[in-house]
Amino acid sequence: MTRTRLLVASFLTFLPIALAPTLVAQIESKPAATGSVRVSPNELTLPVGGKAQLDAEVLDVGGRPVADARVLFFSRARRSLRVSSDGEVEALKPGKFEIIARALLPNVDRRTGPSATVTVTVPHPDPAAIELPNAPPKIYTGTTVPLAAHVVDKNGTPRDDLTVALTSANRDVAAVDAFGLVTGLRPGSTKILAKGGDLEHEITLDVVANPVAKLDLHAPTDTVRTGDVITFGVKLTNADGAAVWNVPVFYSFTARPDDTLGNAATGQIQQDGRFVAEKPGLYTIVATCGNVSDRLTIRATKRFPQKRKLERVGHGPVLDVHTSDLWVWEGVDGRDYCVTGTWGANGDAIFWDVTDPSKIERIATVTVDARTVNDVKVSDDGRLCIISREGASNRKNGIVAFDVSDPRNPQKISEFDDQLTGGVHNLFIHEGYAYALSAGRRYDILDIKNPRAPIRVGSYQVFEPGASIHDVWVENGIAYSSNWRYGLHLVDVGNGIKGGSPSNPVKIGNYAYPSGWNHAAFPWRSKDTDKFYVFAGDEAFPYGLYTKDNPTYARGWIHIVDFTDLEDPQEVARYEVPEAGTHNLWIEGNTMYVAYYNAGLRVVDISGDLMGDLYRQGREIAWYLPTHPESLVPNAPMAWGPQPHKGHIFFSDWNSGLWAVKLVEDKGRRR
Amino acid sequence: MNVHIASAVVLATACAAPLTGQEKPDQKIYRVFVACESADEVHRVAFDGQTAKVEKIIDVGYQPTEIEGPHGLTVGPEGKYWYLSIAHGKPFGLLYKYRTSDDALVGECELGMFPATMQISPATGLLYCVNFNLHGRMLPSSVSIVDPDAMVEVARTMTGAMPHGSRLTRDGRLHYSCAMMSGELYEIDATTFKVTRNMQLDIDLPKGHESEAKPTWIQPHPTQKKIYAALNGKATIVEVDTDEWLVTRRLACAKGPYNLDLTSTGKQLVVTYKTAGEIGIWDLEQGTESARFPSSRRVTHGVVISPDDRYAFVTAEGKNAEPGALDVVDLQQQRKVTTVAVGLQAGGIAFWQTAKL
Repeated sequence: MTRTRLLVASFLTFLPIALAPTLVAQIESKPAATGSVRVSPNELTLPVGGKAQLDAEVLDVGGRPVADARVLFFSRARRSLRVSSDGEVEALKPGKFEIIARALLPNVDRRTGPSATVTVTVPHPDPAAIELPNAPPKIYTGTTVPLAAHVVDKNGTPRDDLTVALTSANRDVAAVDAFGLVTGLRPGSTKILAKGGDLEHEITLDVVANPVAKLDLHAPTDTVRTGDVITFGVKLTNADGAAVWNVPVFYSFTARPDDTLGNAATGQIQQDGRFVAEKPGLYTIVATCGNVSDRLTIRATKRFPQKRKLERVGHGPVLDVHTSDLWVWEGVDGRDYCVTGTWGANGDAIFWDVTDPSKIERIATVTVDARTVNDVKVSDDGRLCIISREGASNRKNGIVAFDVSDPRNPQKISEFDDQLTGGVHNLFIHEGYAYALSAGRRYDILDIKNPRAPIRVGSYQVFEPGASIHDVWVENGIAYSSNWRYGLHLVDVGNGIKGGSPSNPVKIGNYAYPSGWNHAAFPWRSKDTDKFYVFAGDEAFPYGLYTKDNPTYARGWIHIVDFTDLEDPQEVARYEVPEAGTHNLWIEGNTMYVAYYNAGLRVVDISGDLMGDLYRQGREIAWYLPTHPESLVPNAPMAWGPQPHKGHIFFSDWNSGLWAVKLVEDKGRRR
Repeated sequence: MNVHIASAVVLATACAAPLTGQEKPDQKIYRVFVACESADEVHRVAFDGQTAKVEKIIDVGYQPTEIEGPHGLTVGPEGKYWYLSIAHGKPFGLLYKYRTSDDALVGECELGMFPATMQISPATGLLYCVNFNLHGRMLPSSVSIVDPDAMVEVARTMTGAMPHGSRLTRDGRLHYSCAMMSGELYEIDATTFKVTRNMQLDIDLPKGHESEAKPTWIQPHPTQKKIYAALNGKATIVEVDTDEWLVTRRLACAKGPYNLDLTSTGKQLVVTYKTAGEIGIWDLEQGTESARFPSSRRVTHGVVISPDDRYAFVTAEGKNAEPGALDVVDLQQQRKVTTVAVGLQAGGIAFWQTAKL
C-alpha cells in the first residue's frame, strides 16, 4: 500500500482557520467500480502563503486499501493554489479552489481511477485600512463633490469584495448620499465616517461659506449646428461684485427639440461647460453654484441643410471569393491602380486599373501559397507591393513582395517568412520599412529598401498576459498599433519624440478600453482645434460571421481618443451606427471614411471639437450599401476598407469586391 | 459557435443509416473527425467500408475573420467528448471540448502558442497537448497538461523547441513528444508531470539552433518498449528502445515522413509522407515498407488507424483553394479504398467510433 501520510510539518505555516469538525475528517469519493479515494483533511482553509500536506489512500469496492495504488494530486487553479504531485498544498491567492486526488491504478486496463475532491478556502487577507483618496479638505456650501472610498488589505491591495458606507456626523453641515456625493449645507466642520470590512475611518471636512453671490452664464453664440461643441462660461462674483474663482459650478440643460414626436435625449454637457446638441431645437443651459444660478437658451440647427449622398461610380466585382483589404495608388505611368486581397480562398491578390473609376478593369492576379491574403500595401513611389500570407501549405506564411512598376505584370521579387511563420494578418510600409504582424503577437520591422532582401531590424510587442495585436499604421515616425484588450499603443519608430527608430522602437503611450475590441487605428490632428486624436476602430461579431448564405450582423464603433497629451489620453467621442460593426477607416481633411461592415461605407464630418456620439449628432454626411445579387452572400453589404483617392472613394467589400463611389449633392426626392 | 449541417449531408448520425444500398449485415460504419486548419472547420466523416462521406461540418474558433487553425484532435476514452486544439488565439491557442452526441461546444481552456497534437491518459484522465509554437524564434516550448473535466490547465512542462507528436504509452503512464527544431525525444512521467529523459534523435547535432532531422511525430509501440519517430528532414523512421534509451533502428523512407500510427498489434506502421505526398505501410518486424502510394492531395498530413486494425484514415492538406482530402486505406489489402473532399488544409484527425449498421 502506498499511503501519503498526513504531515503537518512544523516549518509550514498551515493555519486551519475553519477546519471541518475534526482535523482528520475524511471524504470518500463516490465509489466507482474500481473503488474510491479517501483524503484527509477533506477540506482546508489556508491563509495566503499557507501550506499543508494532504494524505490520501485508494480503497477497493469493499473499502479495503489497494496495494501499490498511488494517488496523483492536481489543482484546478494552479496559479492560485499550488499542489505538488504528492499532495503538498500552498495557497497563493484568495478564493475557493479544488484539488483533485486521483487514484493511479496498478493495472493496464486503460481505465482512469476514482477521484476525490478537496475544497480549499483561502480567505482574503484581513482588511487593514479604509482609504479616501482625493478627499477635499473643504467644500463650499451649496456645492457637491464625489468621495471615493475603498478598503485595502495589509498589502495595500483593494478589497473589491467589500463596500464602504459614508455618513456625515453633522448632517446640518454636510450630507452624504448613497453614492458618495457630499454636499455642503452650512458653514462648519463635520466628520465624514467611512465604514467597511469591520473597519472605521473618519476624516474632517470643513464646509465654508460659498462666496458666490451672483452667477452670469454666457455662451460664444446663440445658434449652433448639431454636433458643434461650444463652451459655456460663467462669471462668479461675490456680494461686493468682486470676481470669485475655483468654486464648483454645476451645469445641466433642458431641451425642446423641434421634432417633438417622442424624441429622446438630445445633447450632452460636461461639467467644464462644454455642450453639444444632437437634435435641432432649443436648449436651455442651467448653471448653478450654491444658491445662485443662471440660465441661457440657444438654438441648435440641422448640421447639413444641403443633403449629400454617395453615388456609385464603378464596381470591380469579385463574386466567387471574399475580398479583404485594398490599396489605391498612382502608378509610375501616371495611371491609377488598386490591389485587393482575398480571404479564405486561393491566395490571390487582384490588381485593378481604376484610372476611370466608372470602368474598373481587372488587369492582373497573383497567386501565392496561402489561403488568405488579408492585407496589401504599396510603397509611396508606386513600385513595390507587399502582401501578407496566412494558411500557407508549408505553414511558413510571411510576406511576399512584388515589383508593380507595371501593375499589369506584377513581378514577384522576394518572400520573407523568418519569424513570421505563424501568419501575417496586417502590414504597413513607411519610409523604406515594412511593418508586419507576426501571429497576432507582435509586429516586426523589416528594412525593405532593398526589397529583394528584406532584413529584420526591429520588433515591438506588448508584454502583458495574453496580449495580442491586430493591426499597425505608421505616420510621421510613430507606429499606432491596435492590440485588442490592450488597446492603442503609440511607438516612436523614427519620429524622435522618444528617441526611437525602426531598430529601436520606443513606446510613447497607450490607451485601452474595456470591451477589448480594438482592431484598427488612424491618427489625425485637427487643424480646427490643433487637438491630436487617434481614431480606434472595433471589430466584433457577437452574432457570428457567415461566410456564405447568411448576412452578418457585426457590432462595434469608432472610439475617438484625444491624445493631445500623450501621457493622459482621453476618450472623448464616438461614432456608432446602431446595429452594425466597424472595420477599417481612413481620414482625409475633416472627413472620416468608415467601412462599417453590414452598414456599408459611411462618411462623417469630424470638423471642429469632438464630443459625444457623432452619429446621433447628425455628423454623418452620407452612406452607401454595396450589394450584389450574385455575391457570396447575396445583397449583403460587408464593407471592409475605404480609401479616398483623387475625388473618389474606393472601398473593398468582403462579399462583392471593389467599389468606387463619389460624394455628390442629393437632389433626389424621397417619399 | 456556429454548428451547421453540411448541405450535402444525407446521413442520419444517430441511427447510423446506411451509406449505400449494398450493406451486409455485419457491415460497420467508422467515424472520424478531421480538422481543416485553414477553414476553421472540423468535418465529421463516416466510412461504411466502401465510401466515405462528410456527415457534418462544425465551424470552430471565435475570431471569424482570422484563420485560427484547428490542428489537433482527440476523442476522450468514453467517447462522449472530442477535443480540438486551436493554434492561434489572441495570441495563445485554445483547447475546445465538444460533446460527441451533438457536437456542442461545452468547454474551453487557453493553452500556449500553437497547441497541436494531444492525447488523454487512461491512467491519469488528463489531457497532454504539445504547444508547437512554430512562430518566431526557436525557443524551448512546453506540454500543457489539462484536466478535461474542468477544462483547466493543471501543469505545463517545458520541453524542446517546437514540440509535436504528443503520444502516451498504452498504460498512460509515460508521455512522449519530439522537439522538431531541437531534434529531441522527450519523455514525461504523466503522473508527476516531470521530464524524466530526453535524447537527440539525429546523428548530427542541430546547427544554428535548427535540427536537420526535424522529428515531427512520436508513436509508442502498443506492446513493446519501443518508440517510433518520424524524422521529417532526413527521410528516416527511427526506432528507440525505451529500456536501453537507445536508437536501435534507422529506417530510410520516402521524403518528409510526418505522422505515424501503429496497429494495435504493433506489426504495421502507417506513415504519412508530407513532402512526397504519399502514404506508406511498414512491416515493423521485417523493417520494410510493404506498400506506398500517393495520397489524394499534396501535403499528406495525419493518420489514424481504426481500433480493429482494418483501415487507416489519412488526411491530405492540399494547397491554396484546393479542398483537403481524407483517404481511407485498407490495411489488409494495402490499397486506398476511397477518398472524400473535406475543408481547406485537412490535418489533424481522430477516430471516434465504430458503429454497426
